[in-house]
Amino acid sequence: MTTTSAETVIAPPRARAAVTGATTRRKQGLQHGGWFVAPFLVLFALFVIWPLLRGVWLSFTDANISGDGASFVGLDNYREALNDQLMWDALGHSAWFTLLVVPCITVLAFLLAMLAHHIERGKWLWRLCFFMPFLLPSTVAGNLWQWLFNPGTGMVNHVFGLETPWLTDKSYAMLAVVICTLWWTVGFSFLLYLAALQGIPAHLYEAAKLDGANAWHRMVHITLPMLRNITGLVIALQILASLQVFDQAVVMMDFAPGPEESTRTFVQYTLEEGFTSYRVGYASAISIIFFVLIAAVALARMWLLRNREEGGR
Amino acid sequence: MSSTAAQIRVKSRTRRPWTPSQIVLTLLGVAVSAVILSPLAWALFTSLKSETEAVEVPTHWLPEDWTGQAWSAIFETGNITNWFVNSLVVSVCVTAIVLLVSALAGYGFARTEFRGKNALMGLVMAGLMISPAVLGVPLFTTVQQMGMVDTYWGMILPQCAPAAMVYILYKFFQGVPRELEEAAFIDGAGRWRVFFTVVLPLSRPSLAAVGIFTFISSWNNFLWPYMVTNNPDLMTMPNGIATVMNSYGIQWAQLMAGGLMAGLPLIIVFVFFQRQIVAGVAHTGLAGQ
Amino acid sequence: MGRPDLDRSPDRGPSRRQLLTAAGGLAVAGSFGFAALGQGADALASGADTRVRYWNLFSGGDGYNMIAMLDAFRKENPGIEVKDSTLQWGSPFYTKLAMAAAGNRAPDLGVMHLGRVTGFSPGRLLDPWDVGLLRKYGVREEDFNPELWKRAVIDGKLYALPLDIHVQLCFYRRDVLAKTGLLDADGRLIPVTSTDEWFDALKEAKKATKKGLQTLGLHTNDQNVMWWFFVAFYEQLGGTYFNAANTEVTFDTGKATQVLEFLRQHVTDGYSIAGAADAEQFINGAPFTWEGNWSVPVFSGPKLDYGATPLPPVFGKQATHAESHSFVLPHQADRGGATNEAAHRLAAYVVQHAQLWAGGGHIPAHTPTLSSPKYRKLNPQSEYVTAMDHQATEPKVWFAGSTGILAQRVGPMVVSSTMGSAKPEAVARRMKGALTTLLAMKNPMDGRTAAEGGAVA
Repeated sequence: MTTTSAETVIAPPRARAAVTGATTRRKQGLQHGGWFVAPFLVLFALFVIWPLLRGVWLSFTDANISGDGASFVGLDNYREALNDQLMWDALGHSAWFTLLVVPCITVLAFLLAMLAHHIERGKWLWRLCFFMPFLLPSTVAGNLWQWLFNPGTGMVNHVFGLETPWLTDKSYAMLAVVICTLWWTVGFSFLLYLAALQGIPAHLYEAAKLDGANAWHRMVHITLPMLRNITGLVIALQILASLQVFDQAVVMMDFAPGPEESTRTFVQYTLEEGFTSYRVGYASAISIIFFVLIAAVALARMWLLRNREEGGR
Repeated sequence: MSSTAAQIRVKSRTRRPWTPSQIVLTLLGVAVSAVILSPLAWALFTSLKSETEAVEVPTHWLPEDWTGQAWSAIFETGNITNWFVNSLVVSVCVTAIVLLVSALAGYGFARTEFRGKNALMGLVMAGLMISPAVLGVPLFTTVQQMGMVDTYWGMILPQCAPAAMVYILYKFFQGVPRELEEAAFIDGAGRWRVFFTVVLPLSRPSLAAVGIFTFISSWNNFLWPYMVTNNPDLMTMPNGIATVMNSYGIQWAQLMAGGLMAGLPLIIVFVFFQRQIVAGVAHTGLAGQ
Repeated sequence: MGRPDLDRSPDRGPSRRQLLTAAGGLAVAGSFGFAALGQGADALASGADTRVRYWNLFSGGDGYNMIAMLDAFRKENPGIEVKDSTLQWGSPFYTKLAMAAAGNRAPDLGVMHLGRVTGFSPGRLLDPWDVGLLRKYGVREEDFNPELWKRAVIDGKLYALPLDIHVQLCFYRRDVLAKTGLLDADGRLIPVTSTDEWFDALKEAKKATKKGLQTLGLHTNDQNVMWWFFVAFYEQLGGTYFNAANTEVTFDTGKATQVLEFLRQHVTDGYSIAGAADAEQFINGAPFTWEGNWSVPVFSGPKLDYGATPLPPVFGKQATHAESHSFVLPHQADRGGATNEAAHRLAAYVVQHAQLWAGGGHIPAHTPTLSSPKYRKLNPQSEYVTAMDHQATEPKVWFAGSTGILAQRVGPMVVSSTMGSAKPEAVARRMKGALTTLLAMKNPMDGRTAAEGGAVA
């Protein structure tokens, strides 16, 4: 069994029940099904599908922020984007951020969950402490760390006896954003791990104990394999979220691209092009490029999952 | 109350002996908690200093003169209270609409038949990949066309089409035993009545999870409100704190007080509804699987 | 971890649940009602007949002075409520202003740098001033520096009402420099006319400086300030950016390299510490800092004994970077009526009562204020007021102006040279490349390049 306890909160999908005894009344009910999904579909069409289609259309135009007077420019925007060093830099920053954050957060979340899971007293308290930062708005986390990293009056340098120019030197700026992010978001992955740990059946451990396995063996042979799915999920969610980083980075840098433009993320660049340079057409083009990238990551994950499931069965 | 239930559980466990490994683990837990909570403590202490003491060098943890001036100042200038109300209005509306709309849709996809259902479901699943971070610019122009820039609806409605929530409730409704519905159908109830009187009451835990998660993410949402609101009268808490400046320059004590104000409601809610929130986060997170 | 929410005791449950449901229902209904009203608590609570929403980007000393002027206006015009909002300075402010105007929810009055007006699409995102109305409230064209007024007029219409001219200055501490030979009998900084003289002066000043303090505050890692300094010294060398028709890049990489090397030398010779808090260092006893004139109240507050001159003419010719704050009317489809009149009245009032604003270091655009004896008595304002005659400004094209696209593109390049991450010659070439790209770029608002729209500026 590989499902986690949190998953069992949602009753597992059942095989479609045999409908041999369906009444005519129920069949009538079935025909009204469309009305149930209609409200959602209207909102979904207006605010998800339509903007996507609109984005594709705008990416072939020179639309500006005033919302009128756009003309078709073919592939010009995409051609420009491929040669746009700033876009590639921004993509690089987001990727670099992702590379730094994802492994750290996965390991930290796992360790925190192990700790909270194995302390017998006051479970709710540990859960509260480890999860609390995640309850803050991103901008508050950003402001807080901007204050903590403040060169003269910040606590970080004070506590560690440093004089590091965290937010004003390009060698440290991204690191500062990463530290803030780890602190702020580790609680979410921690909770996922904790739920998964609690879903591992106790009898597995008991059987292993009877077989004389020590704590290390139990971890390597039971805990870790049982957490494989959740780890895949944590990593995937973190990759998707980290690639879309924006909030805490811009807040910590006062909405600027950081020292020598070292923390400008991809999302920030699309917004700068669209709303600061008023080039909505071009911003749409790079948004579409970004969308394709994100979709590719998501699809790659689905493909990997399917392959593994097929391999495992 | 859920917290008393948790306490009772804790009490029953205290009878267990303090083994050495438990002592080590607990101490470790305390140390880690201290590290994680210290930035928040730093924010709290800063908010209780005067503005001049806050930027004094060398810096120090505890205020020498404890003062509530930063807290009274944020209430006097009024922006923070305004934003607080706006956050509340937006989050409550978003949560209500999301709950209604995604419960209906989840049920519709799980238990009813209509033409094109599978294609639509596929479309919704694809929607999981789209967020305002990815398509913010086109979404803004869409809302701009609708004349909803700088309105509450402009903030609220685009947050009301979360494919993930539909998917979670869809999975839940698939698991509701059909026999329960059958019985109601035989009694002569229609599809809508069955939904509202039989299915919805059964799904309160899942709805609570979805509702709480939606509320948290809406309360904390920055990016979309940041894009669509420019008028400081209409900003939500996370947006206002980040984009509107104090005319007297950065006032760190007030900034920290404001930040705590923005975080406090959810922390309090968390203390009381821990289990629902934990289930909610685990739930919604796991839906990606 | 149990199943959520199933532990309520059934006998007590209903009544409490009903209560909760009722409260929840009320909250939901209230929220929807509030959202439907659509104005926000502050606007709803406002009882005034006319409410002027006014956005600015002033904080710190400027913020204090602006609020004091607004309070004075409020006292004289009790029927008008002024809702002022201060947004993040620089491009975040312009972003918000443009988005609000594009979404047709613009504030009634805004502030802009004059250099940004051309690029901000007058007519699309900005509405013209009603000159007749301004005159009624006491503002006349002849009371302004003609050069400044001319820059605010586009296609024959006034789009910006200038408030001030602000410049980059060389602040110096008289008390710290007293023992050096750098001050004349009146305690004023002896003029410096070459880079050698300047670095000699720094050398001498360094000897008089306390340990741990830098000699010159330079904002080495601030992309805006670095760019402003570049503009100033490049102008001193007589450098240009584009030809008169804006069809060709005339950027002189040799001169640019000279300027970049000059800026860099402050760091390599140890006169400026990268990342230092310049203002605080100056207050603590660093002898020099280059800052905008808005630092005057910052330094006058702690009663420092200091003076301020325009940036030293190290390349022979006087020139210091200058910009200008001005009032604008962000585009509203239905602009007019009492609110619009109140916006005119407010802007006119502030422009004419700029004495307080001048206390913030700014040179008033309103000449009656500028020539008033009260202004002439201000110190160190009187020492640097001549800076307005030697303005170094960004090229007059749509992508220029304070924190505009040009500054965003080339500012970080100047920083990378000063900080030592890139060689000055390489940076000069990259700057020229950026200028070439920008010159070919079409203004997204009207689809015209700088050459095609060149006459406007």
